[in-house]
Amino acid sequence: MLINITLLFLFAGIPYYLLFEKTKMISHEKIFFLSVMLVLTGMYVAYSYPHEFGTPFVIVSLLSAVFSFYKASRTTNFYKFAYYLLFVNAPILILFSLEQSALYFIALILTLMGVYSIAKHYEKNYGSANYHSVTGVIVITPFVGGFLSIYLITLALYPPFPSALFFLHTIFVADISVLWYVVVLFIFFANFILAMRVMGKTVFGKPNGKIHYVDLTRGEKTVHFLIFILLFILTIWEFKEIFK
Amino acid sequence: MSIIDKLTAIQDTIPHYWPIGSFIHHNPLKGFEDMHFKDALAKAQSIFGGRVYMEPAYYLGLYDEGKIQLPCFEKNLLKMLKEYSFEAHEEEAKQFLMEVSPQWESFRSYKKLKVAQLDMDLVRHLEVESLYNNKKAYVEKLLADMTLYEIHDAMFDTNEKEIIEKEIIEYISRFLDEAQATIHMDNRDLGMFNTFKIYEGMSYKGDAQSYVESALETLKIKDVEAYFLTHILKLHGWAGFIKYRSQDENYFSQKEHPSSLIDYLAIRLYFELKYTEKTKLNDFEKLDKYIEDNHAYACLKLLQNKGKLSGKYIDDMEEHKGYTKILEAYVGEEIRLDALQIQEVQNALPTLNATLTFLEIFIQVLRREEGFIWLKSLEDSYIYTYVDAFIQAPKPQEKPLSAATFCLDVRSETIRRKIEESGAYITFGAGGFLGIPIAFVEFDKAHELLLAPAIVKPQNIVFEVPLEDYHEYSTKNTMNKTSKKVLSDLKNNPYTPYIMVEAIGWIFSINLFGKTFFPKKTNAFFENLKAKKPKTTYTLDKLSKSTIEIYVRKLHIKIIKEKLNSVHIVLSEEEVEHLWKHLVFDARLTIELPEKILYALKVEYHISQEDYLIQKEKLSRVGFTLDEKVMYLENFLKMIGQVKDFPKFFTIVGHGSVSDNNPFESALDCGACGGSISLPNTRTLCMIGNNKEVRERLVQNGIDIAEEVRFIPALHITTTDEIKFYDTEVLDREEIVRFEQVKEDFSRASMEAREERMAFLPNTNSQEEMLIKSMDWSEPRPEWGLAGNMGVFAGPRSSAKNIAFNNRLFLHSYDWKIDNDNADILTRIFDGPLVVGEWINLEHYFATVDNRVYGAGSKVYHNVVSKVGVYNGNYSDLKIGLPSQSVLLEGKAYHEPVRLLTFMEAPLDKVGKAVENSIAKPFILNEWIRPIIIDKEAKKVYSYEYGEFIVIKELP
Repeated sequence: MLINITLLFLFAGIPYYLLFEKTKMISHEKIFFLSVMLVLTGMYVAYSYPHEFGTPFVIVSLLSAVFSFYKASRTTNFYKFAYYLLFVNAPILILFSLEQSALYFIALILTLMGVYSIAKHYEKNYGSANYHSVTGVIVITPFVGGFLSIYLITLALYPPFPSALFFLHTIFVADISVLWYVVVLFIFFANFILAMRVMGKTVFGKPNGKIHYVDLTRGEKTVHFLIFILLFILTIWEFKEIFK
Repeated sequence: MSIIDKLTAIQDTIPHYWPIGSFIHHNPLKGFEDMHFKDALAKAQSIFGGRVYMEPAYYLGLYDEGKIQLPCFEKNLLKMLKEYSFEAHEEEAKQFLMEVSPQWESFRSYKKLKVAQLDMDLVRHLEVESLYNNKKAYVEKLLADMTLYEIHDAMFDTNEKEIIEKEIIEYISRFLDEAQATIHMDNRDLGMFNTFKIYEGMSYKGDAQSYVESALETLKIKDVEAYFLTHILKLHGWAGFIKYRSQDENYFSQKEHPSSLIDYLAIRLYFELKYTEKTKLNDFEKLDKYIEDNHAYACLKLLQNKGKLSGKYIDDMEEHKGYTKILEAYVGEEIRLDALQIQEVQNALPTLNATLTFLEIFIQVLRREEGFIWLKSLEDSYIYTYVDAFIQAPKPQEKPLSAATFCLDVRSETIRRKIEESGAYITFGAGGFLGIPIAFVEFDKAHELLLAPAIVKPQNIVFEVPLEDYHEYSTKNTMNKTSKKVLSDLKNNPYTPYIMVEAIGWIFSINLFGKTFFPKKTNAFFENLKAKKPKTTYTLDKLSKSTIEIYVRKLHIKIIKEKLNSVHIVLSEEEVEHLWKHLVFDARLTIELPEKILYALKVEYHISQEDYLIQKEKLSRVGFTLDEKVMYLENFLKMIGQVKDFPKFFTIVGHGSVSDNNPFESALDCGACGGSISLPNTRTLCMIGNNKEVRERLVQNGIDIAEEVRFIPALHITTTDEIKFYDTEVLDREEIVRFEQVKEDFSRASMEAREERMAFLPNTNSQEEMLIKSMDWSEPRPEWGLAGNMGVFAGPRSSAKNIAFNNRLFLHSYDWKIDNDNADILTRIFDGPLVVGEWINLEHYFATVDNRVYGAGSKVYHNVVSKVGVYNGNYSDLKIGLPSQSVLLEGKAYHEPVRLLTFMEAPLDKVGKAVENSIAKPFILNEWIRPIIIDKEAKKVYSYEYGEFIVIKELP
């Protein structure tokens, strides 16, 4: 039981970010890193200590995910978006076995690291990681627009990107129940809606004439290219898993 | 002032729009032409937003390329500086425009602001000047150009604008549909607003005007004119089309389904009321109160909506930090950014010894004026270059075998040069429709095409009639039409596609794969399927009164018989005749027919006395009187300056374009012929030219055309530069042999013109690829069309011969020595070609400087709507202007936006007379074009600028 409660917390199954947001103990950027670290720790703990989650844990994580979905749909800040997305996907780790869900989450974290890097770029050049006014980036800053599109398409669970393949693969091998349906449908649509919302608001649209747009530097491009290569490797890996 | 007066007061602001089927190039700011060009552009920018000049970096690029000459730039800059008494800072101003202004935006950097040491005096000065000090004015500025529902969206993060605009577009596109939709909207004859009431189930009894009045009252609008303009500019393309329809009393669809701007406003306001009535802020008084109570929050939400609020303030708002503090922080930061920009400029201009507050004003002036300075400098540079070319000594011309007069277009410049290089040929250019406005009814078509500029109403109707048996044509054509209709019906019917896709869907694959992979072969295949049109001629002679009566009677009788057949009533010839007399002349009816049929014949089929008179009047306009024929040919010949020494063959060449899957095809045809090809005008004129009686009369007027001279019409296909000749039957055997040489030379000229033009067309490496562009359905740019157009030259050909203008100049032939003292010929050139040239030029200008606001955007997203235009995706505003592919290449301007440089080789007083007499006077005097007069008599070159003719060059 204790291990399950610990893991529920570590797997972002409860919205502990609320505490940090309320008390402003740490910045949004750090909340994201903390959440990622805790999830990775949780995965290690889960790997080391065999466990099985009961239905109540799944329901709690689902409620947390629904709440995080609401929060994610209200923000236009990339840091917040990144950690809310982690919490939205938490039921995957709770519902499925670690063997099934680990790669999905690694791909998710990798993609969110990409989003985080874009957030850093926005913060450096536009004063904040908030994308509300930074519209039409694909037109003016094609590298930012291009990489961000890849991350958002990955998050929206579009094939052939790794998250979609892991998701599909997981569905094929899972034991199906009503709760399973609810969780899977929710995760699928929540990811899609949130990613497409961001896509519409910052990647596309009319560029904002009041902003001096800046594209990625050479160093930033290298970082994003590395993330893209890693996602590509995961895609090939998962293809192999599917056709094993 | 009534509601209608208020609407009339603002309707000139709406950009003009012509239906895409007869695309007419036009100045989108036509309503502003009563103002000076520069002032009008400033006003347009304040209304429409967007750009009215190119970015400074673009002009700098042209400067680096040597297209903008430094002396021109310096002269214009100095003139402007003198107006503001800034001439002491000429060097700094130059440095600002050339080095600082292109990076102006990058000076406004949040990153730099963090470390910058700001001059606190400047910050305080800017704080005092800030509009934020006046809360009311600050809010008013934020609310400008916003409707109530947009303000509501901004305040409460709702999405009513999207829903409202979608509903409006859905209704008006269906109401204004011109036979694109399979299922038509009912009751459209009631008018736009009355039909709308039925469509929406409204119980409102009044008309559109009273509805608008009551809606304005409900919304508690204070400035009605401003609110009308705000609403209309939300979808200015649709509004422009409705304005066009309502102002053209002969527009068929308008007569059938009337619409007006007041109807349109009533519809817009209906939706505004519908979607805001249950909201918290459903009128402007409540809004004012809300803003007063929540000033900071409201300002922040409006700033956020307009994209002015940077991310960190939006973050703060998300976390509900004090709104007043956030707003003050935002305003403070904006002021500091302004100060930073000014300080950065000061650092970049170390020689400028002035206070920062002076610098602020200095920068404001330069930023405001720089677009015009660069534009005028670019124009001046071209003016000097071309004037030098035009004043070279004329080249001697040997007696030509053939003359070719091209319907005026920039695209004929290269081919004309090549023709002249290929042998003993002389070419002329004559204003668009060749001065002969006709309403043309093509063989096998029922409607007339108005082949004249949109401002000219043709008075003569010309019918194309077959010269040979056309039974085979009719059979094949009927079969093709029927097959097309069946396929189209099956495709568009709501139910049949379920079955038909599988049954006959493969038929469409012929088109799909064929056109994609084998465009040339597929095109040849479909060309073979088409019915071959028989040889035709035109009806150029007037009909006698008795013939007209016979034709009208025949037409009516035919309609009556068709109607009776459709209801299976059989009458004898005499009975039909009686029936016709009854319907038209109210004669006593001796046969019994159901009232319903009689009513239908009278009302639906228009068999009435009124129609009888209308048809008679129409038929009386068929053909030309001898006087008219003589007048048109004489005017034409005098216009181009050809009144003696006619060559053996006198070809008159119209132009047209060929492309596939291109809604903007008519934009590539002849703008002065109502967006159609100008072949009918050339055929008509050649037939008149070959008429013996006409020639005899012309001799009396001093124009002697030898009997052996033959007028031959031709068509220049601008996409491929091919020239096709028509009506060569007028040549005898010996003439045919001689004419073969002309055809051969013209064909070689076509090839050479293609070769030259190829260098400018993207992805074109061979002549073959160029020809394929005209049949490739995925080609967004079959030719450059009129892109690149820059000016007009009106003068003798000898002054412009052998000069390569790269299809950038309209070359109009004109010999001032033939013109009378009143400059009638030049006036006609101003009234027709110059007006159309200005429309073409400014349409390209504005579509290039801001394609989003004044153009149609990318063709890739276009869908044809209502058969009147295109919009983006499945609903958007009707796209005005040219698509980006017509003026841009890979996102950069291909077309160089300059005003029409109008070179005229004539004495100044003659030009002055023509300006005085012309309808083009307002836009000439307001400098929407750049008139340059090459007065070889006075040995001076004049330019009209800043309201006067100034000498820009003395001739040797």
